[in-house]
Amino acid sequence: MMLLQMIFWLFMTILLYVVFRRLYQLLPYPFMIPVLTCTVVLVIVLTSFDVSYDTYFSGGKWIDALLGPAIVALAFPLYQQRKLLNKFKIEILATVLTASLLGILSGYWLAVVSGYNQMIVSTIISKNVTTPVAMEVASMTGGEPAFAVIFVMIAGIGGAVTGPWLFQILGISNFLGVGMAFGGASHAIGTAKALEYGQREAAISSIGLSLCALCVSILGPILLKWIS
Amino acid sequence: MSSQLNKYMLIVLQIVLLFGFYLVGGFLQTTFALPVPGSVVGMLLLLIGLYLKWIPVQWISQGSSALLNHLPLLFVPVTVGIMQHLDFFSGKSLWLVPIVLLSTWIVMGTTGLLGQFLANRKEWGK
Repeated sequence: MMLLQMIFWLFMTILLYVVFRRLYQLLPYPFMIPVLTCTVVLVIVLTSFDVSYDTYFSGGKWIDALLGPAIVALAFPLYQQRKLLNKFKIEILATVLTASLLGILSGYWLAVVSGYNQMIVSTIISKNVTTPVAMEVASMTGGEPAFAVIFVMIAGIGGAVTGPWLFQILGISNFLGVGMAFGGASHAIGTAKALEYGQREAAISSIGLSLCALCVSILGPILLKWIS
Repeated sequence: MSSQLNKYMLIVLQIVLLFGFYLVGGFLQTTFALPVPGSVVGMLLLLIGLYLKWIPVQWISQGSSALLNHLPLLFVPVTVGIMQHLDFFSGKSLWLVPIVLLSTWIVMGTTGLLGQFLANRKEWGK
């Protein structure tokens, strides 16, 4: 019975993903991104049939096990884009550091000023980086990985939806500015949006998301220890 | 059919290799109590391996693309964990939504302006 449930939820997750990925191609609105739609549907199904998260995760963990190797795989686009990386190394380094520091510090201060506890503060500092890294930073610093996922999704979806409008107000149109802003603030979801601007924007954005993930995973725990 | 099968076998083998880097990264992280997640240590090791040509890029290119193309799927089992925190979307926690958005705009606006300024300066400098 346990084994059957495990297999059922594993295949259910993959099936929903395939369906919603197709749907997103037909209706490419930012709030239709598969990770959001799949999650909402699964949460509704699980809660209405009174299935516990532990039961679901017995199947889901087989997919989850691939997250670590997927982070390792980010080395591939970084290596592929090494020419662009080399040409703009100082510019990339400066913007990555700025994005990482501002993400950590602004998240920290806004949460502290609003009177949130240590758990929320530790979780919010890594919201601008890709989900698995944000989750690991959260669990290393006494935050809550499930909340990290929520914050990362708000930063990703919110940034992808409002980014074009923000760029218009501030007059940002250069590929390095647009790409780094999307990758640094809205990680993979922002990078998908950057692709709509062009290949160079998307390349810079994926460099930005990989390097910011690296930067925040190092700076986040250290800065958190210093300032608190 | 058999070439299709070979293609999938190749992807699986490459993912096993990536998994190896992940395990080594995790081992180094716990052994030396590094402040960086094990997966990021693994990524750095792979990047170094690629740069020094110890690892030919063909050994990981298809497995990496397969994983990165389906990254959203890999998040789902964890994001479903939100069901244990549904009370987040009521009461005080809801204020965290505008806080996260505000912080995201600060990062986006500043990074965008700085990136544009630096890139333009470089172009004019030539």
